[in-house]
Amino acid sequence: MTYDIVFVVASALAIISALGVILSGNPFHSALALIGNLVALAALYLLLQSDFLAAAQVIVYAGAVMIMFLFVIAYLGGRATEPVRARPWWQTLAALAAAVAVVVEVGFAIEEQAFGDGASVSEAFGAPQAIAASFLGRYVLTFEATSVLLLIAAVGGVTLAAHRPAPREEGAVSAFEIERPAPEVSLQAEVVDALTRFDVVRAGQVRDEDGET
Amino acid sequence: MPDGFILTFVKAFVLANLVMGVFAFLTWLERRLLGRFQVRLGPNRVGPFGLLQPIADLVKLIRKESILPEGISPVLYIAAPALSLFASLAVFAVIPFGEEATIPGTDWKIFLFISNPSVALLVVFALGSISFYGFLVGGWSSSSKYSLYGSMRAVSQLISYEVSLALAVIGVVMMAQSLSLTGIAEAQDRDGLWYIIPQFLGFVVYVVASTAEVSRIPFDLPEAEGELVAGYHTEYGGMRFAMFQNAEYVALIAFSAVASILFFGGYEGPWLPGPLWMLIKMTFFILIAMWVRATLPRIRYDKLMSIGWKVLLPAATLNLLVTSAIVAWRA
Repeated sequence: MTYDIVFVVASALAIISALGVILSGNPFHSALALIGNLVALAALYLLLQSDFLAAAQVIVYAGAVMIMFLFVIAYLGGRATEPVRARPWWQTLAALAAAVAVVVEVGFAIEEQAFGDGASVSEAFGAPQAIAASFLGRYVLTFEATSVLLLIAAVGGVTLAAHRPAPREEGAVSAFEIERPAPEVSLQAEVVDALTRFDVVRAGQVRDEDGET
Repeated sequence: MPDGFILTFVKAFVLANLVMGVFAFLTWLERRLLGRFQVRLGPNRVGPFGLLQPIADLVKLIRKESILPEGISPVLYIAAPALSLFASLAVFAVIPFGEEATIPGTDWKIFLFISNPSVALLVVFALGSISFYGFLVGGWSSSSKYSLYGSMRAVSQLISYEVSLALAVIGVVMMAQSLSLTGIAEAQDRDGLWYIIPQFLGFVVYVVASTAEVSRIPFDLPEAEGELVAGYHTEYGGMRFAMFQNAEYVALIAFSAVASILFFGGYEGPWLPGPLWMLIKMTFFILIAMWVRATLPRIRYDKLMSIGWKVLLPAATLNLLVTSAIVAWRA
């Protein structure tokens, strides 16, 4: 009974937040809805006796991955008032085709699996020990290859984003090397020039008979 | 409804209110202690020793006008402080204050925890990562430069230090061979050794990183008053502002509880009952946090980042490597 209530609530939240992801015009709201979806899925994992998977889902996907999404959107994304941009027609068509394909596939999966007896699993199913045994035992090669793949992606990202200083031209002078007159000297000269109606005589200037310099 | 549902609800209700009461008392204690550290009195006018000061503050905050600034996203703006507070409070759902206990005068037996999942430590981290969203969403929805900068700082700081925090904790998990908080406490009782001794490096990393996770001085860059007005909660006032502060305090209490269990044996101890031991150990950690706040100045932002990535992370990794080698050798 309690499980049924949790299942209905979590599934409803998952569907509503999934709709929120695609229907919201604001990328920040979409990303927030996606977080809600991932958390609702974690609740469903809990019902499937996968405590570890549920916690990992929240830490990795709802936590680490999505916070990066939100971070970038908050930095670069528009405000709530930004108008929705029109999409090209082929994008709509492709999205529809992909959606229909997923629905058909899920339909087949449900028809084959869902209405039979529930799978029988042992107590240890989904425990950290069982997951560790499959990651670091049977599938150790795949697991390590995946981490190398992620490392390559990270290094690639750093390389692409790394700030390379522009090559220095021959004879270029850095801003620090240019000697300028002290700021108060030039300021004083300007102020004195601008505000006095009298002739300004600077040291080194010679005044001729007519009063012209 | 199963019988366990009502009992769990009652336990959660009592614990949440206890934590809130402790929070109110801690704000008084911190201000009094800070006063002593800085050779002044601190609040001493409202009630005996100023003990009613938190209630006076609460009344003041409740009576403030609830302002919605222009240009905000109202739903997110209102939801953000609630999300932070929820995530901080929810951690107490998995924190054990003892084993099975009998209620005095009856023969009712209850467990002194709300729930005891086998992956309790992961649940703590999961709730921690949820609480980041309160700060980020609060800053973003305020539509203010200072708020956004504050939440950006908060998020980059929390992400950086969460890595070291998790790595520091894995050493304890390997020694205890368990992810459950009761399992870790019992493993220390079984080994006859608090894990602060073999895991001292991990302990130091944990304390530093958790101070950064709860954004307290010297790591309170997200709300550096000198530069950012008040960081991510610049545009918040009244009770909404108080909820953000409340969330930080509750997170401090929660991190102290987790530290007591991971490194100080939790509720296990001689003579006294389990909850009392937890309380003593948690008080120790909270007092350290207050002492640090009174002693250290705020550090610069680039130093904060380089401490996180270039000192704490290598230290935690070293601790992890040595621990795993020893555990594998002894097995």
